[in-house]
Amino acid sequence: MDEAMMGLANIDIAIIIIYMVGVFVLGTFFGKYVKDAGDFFIAGKALPFWAIGMSIVVSDIGAMDFVAVAGSAYTHGISVANFDWIGSMPAMVFAAFIFVPYFWRSGVFTIPEFLGRRYNAAVQMIHGTIWAVFMFTMLSLMLWVAGDSLMHTVLGWNPYVVVWLMVFITGVFTFSGGLSAVVMVDVVQLIIMFVGGLALLFLSMWDLGGWQSVQEQVARQDPKMVIAIQAEETIPETAVAGVFEELGYTVTHAESVKKLSARDPQRFVIRFEGLDTHGLEGNDLIEQIGTFRAEASEAITAGLVQLVGDEKKVSIPTFVTYESHFDILLPHNTYKPFPWTGIVFGLGIVLAIAYMSGNQTIVQRTLGARSEWDAKGGMLFGGFLKSFIPLMVALPGLAAIVVVPNLVDDSRAVPTMISIMLPPGLRGLMFVALFAALMSSVDSTLNSATTIWTTDLLGRVKRYISGSPLDERQGLIVGRIFTVAFILLAGVLAPVIGRQESIYVFIQTALSLFQGPTLAILLLGIMWRRTTQWGGLAGLVLGVAFCFVLNYTEGLFPSDDPFLFVAWWSFVFSLVVTVVVSLLTPPEPEEKIRGLVWGAVVQDAVVQDALNERIS
Amino acid sequence: MAEFMTSLLGKPLYAFFNPINELLTPLYMPWARIVAVGFFILTMVWVGAILNRAYVHLERPNNRWYSDLRIWTVVSMLPHVFVYLYF
Repeated sequence: MDEAMMGLANIDIAIIIIYMVGVFVLGTFFGKYVKDAGDFFIAGKALPFWAIGMSIVVSDIGAMDFVAVAGSAYTHGISVANFDWIGSMPAMVFAAFIFVPYFWRSGVFTIPEFLGRRYNAAVQMIHGTIWAVFMFTMLSLMLWVAGDSLMHTVLGWNPYVVVWLMVFITGVFTFSGGLSAVVMVDVVQLIIMFVGGLALLFLSMWDLGGWQSVQEQVARQDPKMVIAIQAEETIPETAVAGVFEELGYTVTHAESVKKLSARDPQRFVIRFEGLDTHGLEGNDLIEQIGTFRAEASEAITAGLVQLVGDEKKVSIPTFVTYESHFDILLPHNTYKPFPWTGIVFGLGIVLAIAYMSGNQTIVQRTLGARSEWDAKGGMLFGGFLKSFIPLMVALPGLAAIVVVPNLVDDSRAVPTMISIMLPPGLRGLMFVALFAALMSSVDSTLNSATTIWTTDLLGRVKRYISGSPLDERQGLIVGRIFTVAFILLAGVLAPVIGRQESIYVFIQTALSLFQGPTLAILLLGIMWRRTTQWGGLAGLVLGVAFCFVLNYTEGLFPSDDPFLFVAWWSFVFSLVVTVVVSLLTPPEPEEKIRGLVWGAVVQDAVVQDALNERIS
Repeated sequence: MAEFMTSLLGKPLYAFFNPINELLTPLYMPWARIVAVGFFILTMVWVGAILNRAYVHLERPNNRWYSDLRIWTVVSMLPHVFVYLYF
């Protein structure tokens, strides 16, 4: 079977059409409840905890997560699940009990707006601008992913038609119903996603004889190399296998993937014996694999260069071994991208908390809660639901190692598993689940991007020019105009941004540079009343600069992609800078920070008495 | 860019980070597991025993056990402890 195509029966097509029409009708239904900017941006503060929790999960998990996380589990193992376990639940608890109550009480629409109140307009503008640009770029990218990577690659549909269909459906219901429509559609989409995802998990495990059997079969796999050769003529796989044989390795499988066009490199999957790791574990295993990997890669590359005659034509993108595929915590010096030190400190303490507390799409749902209890409960419920994501995504990715062990592109793991494992009907449902994951991310990002542009950029400019912010009616009109403008512009730019990987990489890198410093000033701004506006500004600007230095200085950390370590150390650096500069500058007046710092709410006896009265 | 940055600031940064890498490389099991599980347990203890009760329960809809957010926290986090002990 062609690994790229997911054959759909008539019943599957019917399910997809019913889903799209249903989502459209449900979303537009909520339009009648939108009367002002508060209704549009934060759902009139009427959302219950269950809707908030479900919406957070489905906004966070896009179709690309389904595909990419499963692919990462296929290549790197279960350690990728850290992003939904240690990289989610503790962060959501901290967000629920530290950050959300403050955002909720201060009545702000966005995180940059909160930073603007606590620090100054410069901090708000810097933070707002980077998020606004990031969200808009992501919007275009997500639309293109839906059109090209999902519908075109998997089903063969025209990507442009899919992009504009998505623009129409999500644009109309987000324009009409604002956050209420987005959240309620998300609730339906989460249920579909869980039914589809759990079906894939259970059928995969059933077919392979259970969890124990999957572990045993994965552990028996030979090491694998995926090689790309950019040659004009087609090279037989026996020639590539011959290079391995000449070096003393026994090739157990050699496969060549057909080139789609003359510009595509020819890709090979080579499995071989020769790596003896029997009885080794932990650092000894890592050392043995590291040595073998370096020597083998070098020798094989040299052999292949000799074969094709040009070193620029040969690349070895992945080298996969399966010894530590079921270790969730990997050694500090592992060659895989997720060492335990980076996972606990960089992900668990910095990136996850920064993401859950500073990402507008996540926090905006809690700002629309009907009570503070619902805001906190929504975060906790979301964390609980998110714990199931690796079961639906990473475990099928691991099962795919047994079912389709020789995929060249690991992002094909989930689509291929769906086409092989699921019967008609369920296959359509699973496809709808992928589509739901994608659409919920698009509608949430659209609504949040609109909020930031309206509140933090246009609102700031208007206040600067006329001396007053946008009123409720103006906010609603501007928000709806931005919604239409953004979704149309995102549709037009989707093919351009989607095809330019460098744009996506640049935006992702820029955002990752902000996470550690943003968390530092957010945390200090709430926890320490002595933090000053100049301390916050210095912490943000110098922290980002330090991130830049760490990111571009080679060999500081053991991992090839040290983003986890960069996040941790930039956070520490920003904390220090913010504290030092704050101590050197005059303290903020009491009236400016009232209600915005932890001590004023939790430790202040007068405020505590008031809180106790409210709950008694 | 990488070459310029490495030549400009590499020396002091290596002097700071290399000893840390040397310290962390031999630290693996059981310390990795203890730290990861400890992270979950400390978070549960913080919410369950340290945070002000009135603050946690603010605007709680009723006084039944199932609306206690401290119980929600423990129920949500405890499975993670078992996951990190298992893998």
